[in-house]
Amino acid sequence: MEKSKTESQKIEYIVGTEKGLKDLLSETEVMLLLKGVVKAGAASAVITDAKDRVLWSNGNMQDDSPYIETGPVYLEGELVGRIKVYGEDRSKSYLKNLTGLLLDTINMIIHTNLKRMLTTEAHTTIVNQSYEELLETNRKLSLSEGQYRELAESLERKVQERTEELRRAHARMLQQEKMASVGQLAAGVAHEINNPLGFISSNINTLKRYIERFREMVDFYHALLSGGEIADKVRGLAQQKQKDLKIDFIVSDADELIKQSLDGAERVKKIVSDLKGFSHIDEGEEAVVDINTEIDRTLNVLSHEIPKGAEIIKDYHDLPGFVCNPALICQVFLNIILNALQARTGTLKLVISTDIRHNNIMIKFSDNGKGIPDNIKNRIFEPFYTTKDVGKGTGMGLTVAYEVITAYGGTIEVESQPGEGATFIILLPAKRL
Amino acid sequence: MIEFDEIEKRMLLKLVYYGPALSGKTTNLLRLHDLLERNGRGDLMVLDTKDDRTIFFDLLPFFLETPGGLKIKIKVYTVPGQVKHDATRKAVLQRADGVAFIADSQLAEAANNVESFSNLEKNLAIVGLDIENLPLVIQFNKRDLQNIIPEADIKRVWEPTGIPVFTASALQGWGVIETFSRLAELTYRNIDKRYGLKNNYGLDSETFLQKLTRKTEGTGYI
Ligand SMILES: Nc1ncnc2c1ncn2[C@@H]1O[C@H](COP(=O)(O)OP(=O)(O)OP(=O)(O)O)[C@@H](O)[C@H]1O
Ligand SMILES: Nc1nc2c(ncn2[C@@H]2O[C@H](COP(=O)(O)OP(=O)(O)O)[C@@H](O)[C@H]2O)c(=O)[nH]1
Ligand SMILES: [Mg+2]
Ligand SMILES: [Mg+2]
Repeated sequence: MEKSKTESQKIEYIVGTEKGLKDLLSETEVMLLLKGVVKAGAASAVITDAKDRVLWSNGNMQDDSPYIETGPVYLEGELVGRIKVYGEDRSKSYLKNLTGLLLDTINMIIHTNLKRMLTTEAHTTIVNQSYEELLETNRKLSLSEGQYRELAESLERKVQERTEELRRAHARMLQQEKMASVGQLAAGVAHEINNPLGFISSNINTLKRYIERFREMVDFYHALLSGGEIADKVRGLAQQKQKDLKIDFIVSDADELIKQSLDGAERVKKIVSDLKGFSHIDEGEEAVVDINTEIDRTLNVLSHEIPKGAEIIKDYHDLPGFVCNPALICQVFLNIILNALQARTGTLKLVISTDIRHNNIMIKFSDNGKGIPDNIKNRIFEPFYTTKDVGKGTGMGLTVAYEVITAYGGTIEVESQPGEGATFIILLPAKRL
Repeated sequence: MIEFDEIEKRMLLKLVYYGPALSGKTTNLLRLHDLLERNGRGDLMVLDTKDDRTIFFDLLPFFLETPGGLKIKIKVYTVPGQVKHDATRKAVLQRADGVAFIADSQLAEAANNVESFSNLEKNLAIVGLDIENLPLVIQFNKRDLQNIIPEADIKRVWEPTGIPVFTASALQGWGVIETFSRLAELTYRNIDKRYGLKNNYGLDSETFLQKLTRKTEGTGYI
């Protein structure tokens, strides 16, 4: 039997140890009640434990009374005993009431005594904790407090790490938010620019045709004036006027002006489309595409930009279908191929190869251009970073490429030795969910 | 375990509802008392003597008898939550066979929960109980209120510990039996390992649980 230890005089108090009826009811209390019942007319009254052993009794036990009334005694809700009241058969209902009364009284006394006992027991035990015990408790406490302090310190470190992590995540989020709002702004601006840009280009083209006509007219007058039928005076005046108005220069310069204007408009258009591509990365229709086909498509679009004599070597391998927005993926290839065209130093040689590498689709563009110096290698993907003349490059080409590829869960990297060309390597997950 | 008498075939177990003041420990026991079948449990005894604040706990006893004739009594206690009643808490915690920690879900109570839980850890160590091996469940009570800690946060914090966590509204009466059942289940597992409840007394986990958590509509005897 496991019982509370009482070693070295120390009272170890455990809430919950069992109490029997004998602990809870005092002889005097019980006997007073049982006597009362007998006095009231019962032949005898008995209290037994749960196993029917008699604990207290009063009255004539030899009496073979014909009638017994019993009732259960509970302790903490558990049946712990019975009371039995014996008597005459004719006073049945009277005995029943008497028993009920006795039962209620006993159960009530048990309940109050139990409550009082628990209360005083706990009270005295806890208040009387010996000095040694307090010291012992204190020792244990400080020991465990030491452990907790240690725990708290490592906790603090973890909290710090976590805070740092959160701070970085937050900064990243802010950055993304900023990019997103820049993107939205850009998309808005791009849209606004597109409309006037449309009529500017078309007007310039019309103007170009008009100027052709003016030139024809001027040429016509010229021819007329050089003919013989015109008075010298008129010819002289006309030639003087033509000289004053610098018509010859104007006619030849108009072409150049218009060509430059059209170039400018074209460049604005490109900026706008880049901006749009940049800010609309997660929009548009997705489809399963064959990367090889898309590269070819891009090359076709670029055909007029590719100089004569340039060598484009394709080393394609069969690839699994890739789910993406085809316009965006073409934009990536376009930007990279254009860069290669622009970086050429002599005859362009561009090797485009595709293959499967460890569950990735690998696409490589290797050119023989001027290459990329080490110190700018990590900057070329930055937005608006360009080494080209003002007006020539916007510095968005590779940024767009990077954004698109990473959005599809891939990577884009560059390898380059200055003077020996550059190689752009794209890896795309073969299976994208 | 409070007591085990092999000859008398009596086993006395103790479960403790721990937690900060006013988190709803007493209300949990009140609900168990109301929801569960009368046969097999005693009455709820609330010991809240006004003038003597040293002692302050509640008790709800359960009984059952195994096919092998072992009488098992389970005393479910609450502890006083107030900081100053630490001595009583230790006395109640002595030899406990399982603990349900009742946390208050209200955001404003977060610090009290933490304090009470570390108090539990401290007191378990003092009374010589190993928190790693002691059946322990956590209940986030008062889910019916506003401004409570989100369930996702509870999961995030407690799931990694492996301690079973329940949400409940003791006031409305849900989650209470679930918490108690799991605690009883874990307790059975522990006791069975040491005393062979199944092999020696023919009591398996299902029967144990079923006997303890029978709802009031049933009429059968245990
Ligand atoms: N194939 C390449 N060889 C050498 N340098 C390159 C190559 N591709 C990119 N670069 C360098 O990276 C810079 C950034 O390229 P990116 O395509 O982003 O902008 P850009 O070509 O300057 O302008 P945009 O493409 O917008 O007209 C280029 O200015 C160039 O210095
Ligand atoms: N709203 C709400 N109140 C509760 C809930 N459980 C308990 N309470 C209330 O909280 C207060 C304290 O409850 P009590 O059980 O005495 O807490 P104890 O100190 O942990 O025993 C009482 O007013 C209860 O009615 C619950 O789930 N929801
Ligand atoms: Mg470019
Ligand atoms: Mg209470």
